[in-house]
Amino acid sequence: MAGALPAVTLPSVVAELLSEMAAAVQEGARIPDEHLLSLKFVFGSSAIQALDLVDRQSITLISSPSGRRVYQVLGSSGKTYTCLASCHYCSCPAFAFSVLRKSDSLLCKHLLAVYLSQVMRTCQQLSVSDKQLTDILLTEKKEEA
Amino acid sequence: MAEVLRRVLSPSSAAGPEEENTAEAGPPLLLLCGPGSGKTALLFAAALETAGEGRGPVLFLTRRPLQSLPRGTGAALDHLRLQKIRFQYPRSTRELLHLLCSAHEARGPAPSLLLLDGLEEYLAEDPGLQEAAYLAALLLDTADHFSHRVGPGGGCGLIVALQTQEEGDSGDALQLSVLQRYFPAQCWLQPDAPGPGQHRLRASLEPGGLGPRAEWCVAFRPDGEMTVTPWPAQAGDPSSDKGSSSGGQR
Repeated sequence: MAGALPAVTLPSVVAELLSEMAAAVQEGARIPDEHLLSLKFVFGSSAIQALDLVDRQSITLISSPSGRRVYQVLGSSGKTYTCLASCHYCSCPAFAFSVLRKSDSLLCKHLLAVYLSQVMRTCQQLSVSDKQLTDILLTEKKEEA
Repeated sequence: MAEVLRRVLSPSSAAGPEEENTAEAGPPLLLLCGPGSGKTALLFAAALETAGEGRGPVLFLTRRPLQSLPRGTGAALDHLRLQKIRFQYPRSTRELLHLLCSAHEARGPAPSLLLLDGLEEYLAEDPGLQEAAYLAALLLDTADHFSHRVGPGGGCGLIVALQTQEEGDSGDALQLSVLQRYFPAQCWLQPDAPGPGQHRLRASLEPGGLGPRAEWCVAFRPDGEMTVTPWPAQAGDPSSDKGSSSGGQR
């Protein structure tokens, strides 16, 4: 189910915006400017940075034979961050600070990039073994600033 | 797993609209309480209830083995149900993280319910906000993976019990609000004025906008037996409180 979003954690206006964008992509159209403007309105500068990450093909969906999946995003600094596929979590410091501590932002740019790449279907795909996926999930916690 | 808890707490109202929801896992639920309450008994009751549904096994994670199996309400220690509850005892946060991160490696039928007792003990080892969020997110991710393995028409529920401090500081409040982001449904257990030889709790279930709020009185007798009755709607009407025998003193 491409583009399925965890409805429980995204405010409905954001979920709606993303699904409208997905519909546009499905029809083969480019994303209307008004959607991009709405994105910028809701997410501020993160929107531009996230779109940039998508353009650069920085998001990879990693899956294993078990069916479990996780995302990795190559940040602009060259560091790789891990984002969970089922709920909002990113190992980057901005997530810990702006989203969790300050509640300033809904998403960090990496999580937003993951959503956008789902909508625009521009995710890289990588298959790993079950054991390798365990290691990826275990080490994500260790990302330091 | 608000629906399972609701069914545990209102067995008499199990018929009707809730029948259609028996296979749905419902949102992840955070069970919050102070020290010494009956959260373990409630978790165990939820485990028994789900084990009796004829779906997958129940995975019960707790730091220490239960000293005695809590006595439940109604259909209780049926051996067939007990056999479907798998206990695991991660002794540290590291072990718990490893268990959750490697959950997809395990073969065999996927659990239909994942329970964790004593989240506060694991958080105490590593009290940072990002660590707390990571643990909560991994719990959700693990339950989500099990749900995918179970397939359509089923799903894996998630109930996590957390003991909160009465005199918490702002750090605790922030940690709790981070956890609440990941658990839209919450059930608060508060001690009620204890009667002689009786331990009572008020259970308030907030299904996170996906259903009505509901309250129950959960009483534990000295022999450990747990009884559940709906909380009286009006405080001034003790005669409507069917189960509790210790008068309407509030």
